[in-house]
Amino acid sequence: MGIINLAPKVLDPIPGGKYVVNAIDYVVNWARANSIWPLTYGTSCCAIEMMSSSMARYDIARFGSEVFRSSPRQADLFILAGTITRRMAPAIQMLWEQIPGPKYVIAMGACTISGGPFIYDNYSVVRGAQNLIPVDVFVPGCPPRPEALFHGLLTLREKILKETCREPWHEGDIRNVSTMDRYREAAKTWAALEQMKDEEMADARAKFKEEHPDYKSPYKPVRIKKEEFPEVERVACKRYGMSQLDIYKKLKAKFQSVTVHTHSEDPIEDVVAAMPADRPLEVMIDVEDYLGAVEYVKNDPEFKMDFLIDVTAIDYDDHFDLVTQLRSIEIGHKVFFCVQIKKDFNIPEADRPTSLLGKVPTISHLYPGAEVKEREVYDMFGIDFEGHPDQRRIFLDRDFVGYPLRKDFTHPEMIRRPV
Amino acid sequence: MSITRLPPGFKITRETNTEEFFINMGPQHPSTHGALRLTLRMDGETIVELVPHFGYIHRGMEKQAESMSYLQYIALSDRQDYLTAIQNNLGVVIALEKGMNVGVPEKGEYIRVMLQELGRIASHLVFFGCFGGDLGGQTCLLFGFKEREMIHDILEEVTGSRLTTNFFRPGGSRYDVPETFIPRVKAFLDHLEDAMRDYERFLSKNIIVLERSVGIGVLSKEDAIAYGCSGPVLRASGVEFDVRRANPYSIYDQLDFDIPVFHNGDCYDRYKIRIAEIHESMKILRQCVEKFPKEGPWRSKEKPVRLPVGRYYSEIETAKGLYATYVVAATTGEKPYRIHTRGPSFPHIAALNKMAQGHKISDLVTIMATLDPVIPEIDR
Repeated sequence: MGIINLAPKVLDPIPGGKYVVNAIDYVVNWARANSIWPLTYGTSCCAIEMMSSSMARYDIARFGSEVFRSSPRQADLFILAGTITRRMAPAIQMLWEQIPGPKYVIAMGACTISGGPFIYDNYSVVRGAQNLIPVDVFVPGCPPRPEALFHGLLTLREKILKETCREPWHEGDIRNVSTMDRYREAAKTWAALEQMKDEEMADARAKFKEEHPDYKSPYKPVRIKKEEFPEVERVACKRYGMSQLDIYKKLKAKFQSVTVHTHSEDPIEDVVAAMPADRPLEVMIDVEDYLGAVEYVKNDPEFKMDFLIDVTAIDYDDHFDLVTQLRSIEIGHKVFFCVQIKKDFNIPEADRPTSLLGKVPTISHLYPGAEVKEREVYDMFGIDFEGHPDQRRIFLDRDFVGYPLRKDFTHPEMIRRPV
Repeated sequence: MSITRLPPGFKITRETNTEEFFINMGPQHPSTHGALRLTLRMDGETIVELVPHFGYIHRGMEKQAESMSYLQYIALSDRQDYLTAIQNNLGVVIALEKGMNVGVPEKGEYIRVMLQELGRIASHLVFFGCFGGDLGGQTCLLFGFKEREMIHDILEEVTGSRLTTNFFRPGGSRYDVPETFIPRVKAFLDHLEDAMRDYERFLSKNIIVLERSVGIGVLSKEDAIAYGCSGPVLRASGVEFDVRRANPYSIYDQLDFDIPVFHNGDCYDRYKIRIAEIHESMKILRQCVEKFPKEGPWRSKEKPVRLPVGRYYSEIETAKGLYATYVVAATTGEKPYRIHTRGPSFPHIAALNKMAQGHKISDLVTIMATLDPVIPEIDR
């Protein structure tokens, strides 16, 4: 960069000067191509393969890239290891801007090439790193093996060796375009090519049929006969804690609204008694009784539900199901409370996708771990937790519109999966 | 000077004479183990309060699962906690098996348990490396990954993939294990026994490790349960809870192994417990090698994966802790209405504030390393 690129201007007029320019190119490229220092950056699975490749077995030091720098200001190479989400995208552009030139980018793995497994029905993944920053080398795989990463490094090396003072490295532009579906475009081109080939071959095929009217392929479809195995019974799970029937009876005595969805006509007691031991009891309860019931099972010495497994929700047409999964570490039984929260249909239809539709009291004062879980439910479903100390979006940006796990959620960047 | 307006998430209000300031750590930071962002409120070099910000690798897996078939979701579960991909597969598969009501033959169960334990050792070896590395001993990274590559060779031979295995299916697994599987596991165990002795000598009594981890980041028993921590983090705080014992799945009830429990709840205990678990896993593997049935079916009869209407729940113990899958089938068919995953790392990071308060900022790196979080599993 800089002063070296002036070399041709100064040296070319001198007789034999271009040989000196070539020598300068050779030395500079030798230095650049043999010590590419990558930035320590990784978001998901590919990062582990990147780590593996720098360890004893694969040893990235053979290619001069063993010095992983933690600061972008000391790095030459940006290995994009792992999925890029919209929330991460500004950080990546910033990191790329902070790396001093000449800088190179390797997009590692399917996610950074096209979105990979997260291409369809997805509202948060950027489909390809080339939509954000200029990429030099793409390494396919999910995740690529260390050998594949080395192949990418060697390809980059070749690219660097082609640079000269006359055609120096130049900085590309940061792009901020909306993401595109490369897979579908490629599929369309492919289909067009196939059709063209088909049309070209049509005459030849007709001619062949005329010449050989009763030609039969020598290959027969082979169907391997599948082996059949006897089914082996599952080892019955050991019984721990209170039985489901006892839990149901105790809760029913305390709270009138407790029921169990059994999907059958039989009385609830019989169905609950016939449940397999490893299946947790899921009781339906009214919103009014919810907080009382959770408080009761936490403090009651026979229940002692001190461990919150999870709080999650399910979206139906006219209501949400809030499922609170509790367990007793000491005794060993589990209870799932399922609360039906009716959707508030007084809100005008146009505002419904962006407004909170249900209300439920928080349990974060009983279980501190519930705070982040309830924030997740708020973020994904738009359920209002009354009395929650810190109700903010947790996974998505503050200005994100809509609640993604609702069934009627739409997003401009979302592509439906072709069925 | 007191701060009148705090940034979002901070709760403690207090009067101090010193000047407080805020530090942003992440989302690109070598010791946050991925794309996690922590905002720290500092008083000098001491952490007053810590607020984690999630979502930098939120990939919307649960939304995607609604338009996928059950079998396709098994491949997504690999990418949640990629260090224990093979264990996540089992968690999803057990939930599906409960709905389909299929059993697994004995040989299939042994394959499952052995791969589970190999995955556990691999994950703990990464912990060993990262813990040493975060404390400044980069050599540990080389050591931990050396033995891990041997496990990956075995996994590759069996499943066809190093990291994202996608191996188990309802009723068994995709393939039978090759003939070389058992001898290789045997050879690996003999090697690991020696190697672990060296590694423990290297790190367990090291004065730098002791100084930087004993008494740092203490999580009390009550807090650990209240925040929903599980796995080694919970057991290091003195709670004997392991799903393999509490609700045994597969054939863990027929195997003889101990649940190591430590009582201090500090960083050193969280390190020691993982070393102890590697030894327990080796014990399980040795039993499995002896009992492994040479003949017999390795999977039950193949059935289409269709779940009847209902809700199915499964939980397993991965290397990080309690991994639960909750499947909702609203109609009988091949597609789920909703699949929810409970990952073990999420509560651990929620409890991080409790552990880091009052410690120096350099201790935060140690605490993060001993929690061994995997961020994509939190954000999903």
